[in-house]
Amino acid sequence: MQDLLYFSQQLINGLTIGSTYALIAIGYTMVYGIIGMINFAHGEIYMIGAYTALIAITGLTALGLAWLPLILIVALLCAMIVSSSMGWAVERVAYRPVRGRHRLIPLISAIGMSIFLQNYVHLAQGSRNIGFPALIDGGFNFGSGDGFQMSLSYMQITIFITTLICMTALSLFISRSRTGRACRAVSQDLGMANLLGIDTNRIISATFVIGAALAAVAGLLLGMYYGSVDPLFGFIAGLKAFTAAVLGGIGSIPGAMLGGLILGVAESMTSGYLSGEYKDVISFSLLILILLFKPTGLLGKPEVEKI
Amino acid sequence: MRTSVKKLVTAVSTSVALMGAGHAAAEIQIGIAGPMTGPVAQYGDMQFSGARMAIEQINANGGVMGEELVAVEYDDVCDPKQAVTVANSLVNDGVRFVIGHLCSSSTQPASDIYEDEGILMVTPASTSPEITERGYELVFRTIGLDSMQGPVAANYIASQNPERVAIVHDKQQYGEGIATAVRDTLKDAGVEIAMFEGITAGDKDFSSLVTKLKQADVDYVYYGGYHPELGLILRQADSAGLDARFMGPEGVGNKDINTIAGEAAEGLLVTLPPAFDQKAENQALVEAFEEKGEDPSGPFVLTSYTAVQLVAEGIEAAGSTDPFDVAAALREGTFQTPIGTVEYDKSGDMKSFEFVVYEWHSDGSKTPVN
Repeated sequence: MQDLLYFSQQLINGLTIGSTYALIAIGYTMVYGIIGMINFAHGEIYMIGAYTALIAITGLTALGLAWLPLILIVALLCAMIVSSSMGWAVERVAYRPVRGRHRLIPLISAIGMSIFLQNYVHLAQGSRNIGFPALIDGGFNFGSGDGFQMSLSYMQITIFITTLICMTALSLFISRSRTGRACRAVSQDLGMANLLGIDTNRIISATFVIGAALAAVAGLLLGMYYGSVDPLFGFIAGLKAFTAAVLGGIGSIPGAMLGGLILGVAESMTSGYLSGEYKDVISFSLLILILLFKPTGLLGKPEVEKI
Repeated sequence: MRTSVKKLVTAVSTSVALMGAGHAAAEIQIGIAGPMTGPVAQYGDMQFSGARMAIEQINANGGVMGEELVAVEYDDVCDPKQAVTVANSLVNDGVRFVIGHLCSSSTQPASDIYEDEGILMVTPASTSPEITERGYELVFRTIGLDSMQGPVAANYIASQNPERVAIVHDKQQYGEGIATAVRDTLKDAGVEIAMFEGITAGDKDFSSLVTKLKQADVDYVYYGGYHPELGLILRQADSAGLDARFMGPEGVGNKDINTIAGEAAEGLLVTLPPAFDQKAENQALVEAFEEKGEDPSGPFVLTSYTAVQLVAEGIEAAGSTDPFDVAAALREGTFQTPIGTVEYDKSGDMKSFEFVVYEWHSDGSKTPVN
């Protein structure tokens, strides 16, 4: 019983972090699916989302607003708006001018953008860790009085529910809406979609905006869950999310979700049963193994490979 | 108004004169190397504020051998790679005395360069024993060693008769070194160590670690590392309902841990150098800091002040600005400083330095525990 509770607790920890990896991974995978490039600045967009949410929360609290759901919704909207505009601007400034050139050029441009955004936040917000207020406290406890108690916090529940809503909304958007259909068309054949009258530039911008908005959601959730933000916060998370996207099959949206969850659970099980020191070793070995035996990732299709 | 214009004119003309003087005689350059930016910049602030104050006061009292001290500041971001770059530019700039670096992992590679190039280094903060173990002639410190700090922490924990203790560290030179010292002392005292585990510095998610600590049912957790990670561990442990007392080295003892951990920082135990700013003989100095709007209570402010003072007194005693002569004078002499009487052994460590256990509070204040 004790062992089962311990296992479930590590599973919950892993799924929580995994679902936020999935939210960030969507941004990598959608951009790759459509224009075949890796947007390395995506982790920074996520970090900016977290900072914006923090600024909004601080501002609203200073204004004397006390009703929690309103604070969270306003902060979320602010973060999504700022991150989305940032995602859109990054595409316009750094990627569109070099689109269609040799594949290394947009890649270098993306890395440059990532360094620029990181240092911009360094200058604007300082390099120190800034504490995030714990807005959602408490949770449920399972297990007997003196033994190991499993806890499921309201924050973790919030993360699951929000992720679920975002993923469902995204799936519906991609499969049902007009723009979603256009997205799928562009990802299958950009040139042909253009000939058929789809405004591909607009669709590509939309992809960046959607990815950035989801990253902002993850930024707010993780900022609150962990409790602090710093300008390098996006780099590591971005790396993990990128790994998740590749694991699940880059270019595939269900793949990004699956990859994120697998990576999160693998990390928490490693720290839980082996040692925290091996966390990254195991998750990256997993990535290498999957790429060796299934180079397109778990749910990737071979025809996604482009250029 | 008139006086401020006058001051401005004097300041401008002095700096013009200094610029004209360049690296020629009539001034002694003191390099200050530490993190001005980066995750542990608050410790750098302490270092720079202490060293600047010492330089100001020494100059106001007529300088060293009639020459003025000039501060040259360098930012190493507490990054070993950056520290090497900083050390090289110090060599280029012709600086022969360095106050720094702060993080042990930066001090170690930088000190190789200083020793080769004949530059005297006094670190006000690096506590890793390895720094002075290599038989270098020009390396000194104004702080104790992990091998002194670890046992103080471990003896305190052992005196509380805990059933099980967990030790966590950040796998860096400072954190792992001190965690190892704590583990060894606890083992000798017969305390059961339930866990000895590393985390990755810069990580944010410690939920698995906290779950593991809960499962291991420990009374005390010792963390070797810096405050950004411990702050998050404290906070995540608090929300997961982990009932254990945390303890850390002086690398976690600053007010930023409160902004990260909030209420969860209450009751944290920290080993720190004694509060030098509370000593009666330092009150004039404390007032000087307060007049400038600076806080002298940080653990590295007065150690940095002392480092500058020792370099100045060493130069006076040697009657020369040759770093080797100054090093010899420092090893021979006995110096009265704000951190007490300083005498050096052959390796460049102080013959005695004590650490004290403090209890940290959620408002950023601390009280000694005895």
